Amino acid sequence: MNRPLRIAHLYPDLLNLYADKGNILTLQQRMAWRGYAVEIIRVQHTDDAKPGEYDLVLLGGGSDREQELVGRTLRRNVAEWKAAVEDGLPLLAVCGGYQLLGEYYQLPNGTKIPGLELLDLRTEAGSPRLIGNIAIQSEVGIILGFENHGGRTRHRHAPLGTVISGHGNNGEDGQEGVRYKNVIGTYIHGPLLPKNPALADMILQLAMDYAGISGTLRPLDDRMEQAARQAFMERRMELAPAVLQHK
Amino acid sequence: MFGIWVGKWVLWILNILGKRATSLPGKVALRISPRLLEKLGAKLERCIVVTGTNGKTTTARLLAAAMAEEDAIVHNREGANLPQGLATALLKHCTWTGRLRCRTALFEIDEATLPLVAHALPIKVVVVTNVFRDQLDRYGELDTTLEKLLDGLRRTDAVAVLNADDPLARHIGLAYGKQVVYFGMSKDQLQHEVRDQMRDGAFCLECGHELVYHGFFYGQLGDYHCPQCGMFRPHPDFVGHPHPQGLTVSEGSLPEVTIALAARGLFNRYNALAALAAARVVGLDIASVQAGFRRYEPPLGRMQAFETSPPTVLNLIKNPTGCDSVLQTIRADGDTKVVCIAINDNAADGKDVSWLWDADFELLTEDPKTVRYVTTGLRAEDMALRLKYAGCPTDAVVSIPDLATALDEALLQADACEAKTVYVLSTYTALYPIADRLQRRAHSHEPSPAYRPSVS
Repeated sequence: MNRPLRIAHLYPDLLNLYADKGNILTLQQRMAWRGYAVEIIRVQHTDDAKPGEYDLVLLGGGSDREQELVGRTLRRNVAEWKAAVEDGLPLLAVCGGYQLLGEYYQLPNGTKIPGLELLDLRTEAGSPRLIGNIAIQSEVGIILGFENHGGRTRHRHAPLGTVISGHGNNGEDGQEGVRYKNVIGTYIHGPLLPKNPALADMILQLAMDYAGISGTLRPLDDRMEQAARQAFMERRMELAPAVLQHK
Repeated sequence: MFGIWVGKWVLWILNILGKRATSLPGKVALRISPRLLEKLGAKLERCIVVTGTNGKTTTARLLAAAMAEEDAIVHNREGANLPQGLATALLKHCTWTGRLRCRTALFEIDEATLPLVAHALPIKVVVVTNVFRDQLDRYGELDTTLEKLLDGLRRTDAVAVLNADDPLARHIGLAYGKQVVYFGMSKDQLQHEVRDQMRDGAFCLECGHELVYHGFFYGQLGDYHCPQCGMFRPHPDFVGHPHPQGLTVSEGSLPEVTIALAARGLFNRYNALAALAAARVVGLDIASVQAGFRRYEPPLGRMQAFETSPPTVLNLIKNPTGCDSVLQTIRADGDTKVVCIAINDNAADGKDVSWLWDADFELLTEDPKTVRYVTTGLRAEDMALRLKYAGCPTDAVVSIPDLATALDEALLQADACEAKTVYVLSTYTALYPIADRLQRRAHSHEPSPAYRPSVS
C-alpha cells in the first residue's frame, strides 16, 4: 500500500478568492476515484510551512491586502522553497499566488510587494483589469477558464501556453502563465482544474513521480468534463471547429 | 425637459406593448439629459437608500410596504438598481410637465452606483444589508466594493443603518464617522459548529489581525472581535430573535415587538430586521411597520412557491453566501426533493462562474433526500461538473441547457421518484423566463381533472 500523496494548500485562511476549493477538490477526487490515498494539508498563515514535506503545493489568489501578508509569510523560508522547487517539487500557483512566485508585484502607487523570487518574473499593476474568458494552447491541449487581474506579468521562462482567445500574462505578448521545472503559474481560474482534467492529471502524475509513488494514472470517465469544455468553447469562446480538433 | 418627455414616451410605448419597463426609459432619458437624476432628485424631500450585497430587493420591498402605509413613495421595486433604473422609477412618478407626484423616494442602489448618484439625491438614510462577495468580475475584489460603499456614504449626511454582525459593515460604521444605527441577531442564535464555507473579511480591517469569533450566524456574520486592536461587534440598537413564524425585535428598553413573516430562512429575518430598523429611523411607528410587513409581497425568486405538480420553489442565487443560505433551507426540508439549477453567465449574472465552486453544494449531495438534479442555462454543464465533484453520482445529474425543457424534465423526474418538492435555483437572467414557465405549468395543472372536484 502506497503512502498518501501529500498536497499542501497554502493559506486557505488568507487566499480564498477564485475558488481554490475547486482545484483542491479536483485533485482529491481524481486520486480517490483511482483508489489512491490523498492527504490535504491546510497550511494556515500562522503555521510554519515545511516545503520539504509536501508532494504538491497549491497557492491561490487573494485581495491586495491579503497578498502582502502572504508574501511576508512565504518569505520566512525562502531558502527551503527554493531548494524544494529546484529539486522538482510540483507547485501550482494561480492569480495572486502566481505573482508571488516572482521578484515583486508593483502596486499602482509604485510600492513593490516583494515575492518569493523563485522565478525570474516581475509583475506591475496596470489598467484596465484584464477580465474575461480565456483559452490557451498548451502541452496538454487547450486550457480553458476565466481571468481577472490588474497585474501585467513578464518573465524569462517558458509560458504555460499561448493565448488563443483572451489576454494572458500582460495582454501584449500572447503568452499565458509560466512553466519552470514542475512549477506552474497561471492567471486562469474558473476554477482551473475541474474543466481541464488533462492538466489536473499531468500535475498529479508529476506529484506521484516526485513523491516516489509508483504507478501511472489510469484514464477516468471524463464525459462530463468534456461536455463542459465543449459547451464553453462553443457558447463562450466561439472557437472554430478546426481549433477544437487540435487538442 | 426633453429627456423627461422622451423617457415618458418610451415608458408609455413599453406599457402599451405589455413589456417590463424597469431600465430602458431611464436609459434613453439619461442619454438625452445626462443631468436628469439631478433635476428630478432636487424635487424630492428625502431619499432612503438600501444597498449591500444580498437582500437589497427584499429589504427595500419590506421597507416600502411599511412606508406606503403613510404616504405614496417612488420605489424601484423590481430591483433595477443602476442609474437608469432609478431614473425610470422617477419618470413613472413624474408628470409630462416634469412635476414629481411624490416627495419621498426609496431606492435600492447597487454598491458601485452609490458614489455616482449620491450627490443628486437628498439621501437621509442608507441601509447596508451586508457586504459579501458578489460578481468579482465587475468590481475587481471585495476591497473595492467596500471602498465604493464608503465613498458613496461619505458623499451624504445620511444616518447609516448597518449590520452589527458583519465585521465589514462595522468597518464602514467606524470609518464613516457620522450617525450610525446597528441591527443584529440575538447572541443565543449563534452557531458554534463551523462548516467550511466562504467567509469574507475574516481579518480585522482596522489593523489586519485575524478576527476571533464566538460563533456564527451565517457567512461571516457572527459575534467577532479583534484580539489585537480591540475592534468588536457593537451591541445592536435593534436585536432580532428569529423564530419559524417571523421575528421578535427588541429596540432599546421599548417593549418587544413580534413581526410575522411568510418568507423562510434566516437571511429573510435579517432583511426584515434591517427594514424595521430603517423604518424606525425614518420615523414610522411599529403599527405601520407591522401592517406594512403583512402586506409585503416577496420579490421574484425568493423562496417563491408555484403550484405545479409537485410544487416548485424558486430561488435566486448569485454569490456563495446567498446560495449557501438557500442550500441550507433546502437541506432543512426533510422530504424527498429534486433540485433544478439554472446557471447563466450574462453580464447581469456575472461572467465568472467560479463562485459555484465556493458555494457549499455538498450540503445537497450529502443530503440523502435530494435524489435528482437537472442543470440548465448557458453554463448547465459547468454546474453538472460542480455536482459531480461534490460527490453526486453522475447518473443522478442531467444537463439540459434549454430552460423550459429542463423544468419539464425536473417535474417529470420528481413525479417518477415521488418527490414532494422541486427546488429551482437560478441566476438573475434565467429567473424571469423560469418564473414565466413555472407560472404556465402551474396554470396548466390547476384544471387537471385528477385534482379538480366535479363541477359538471
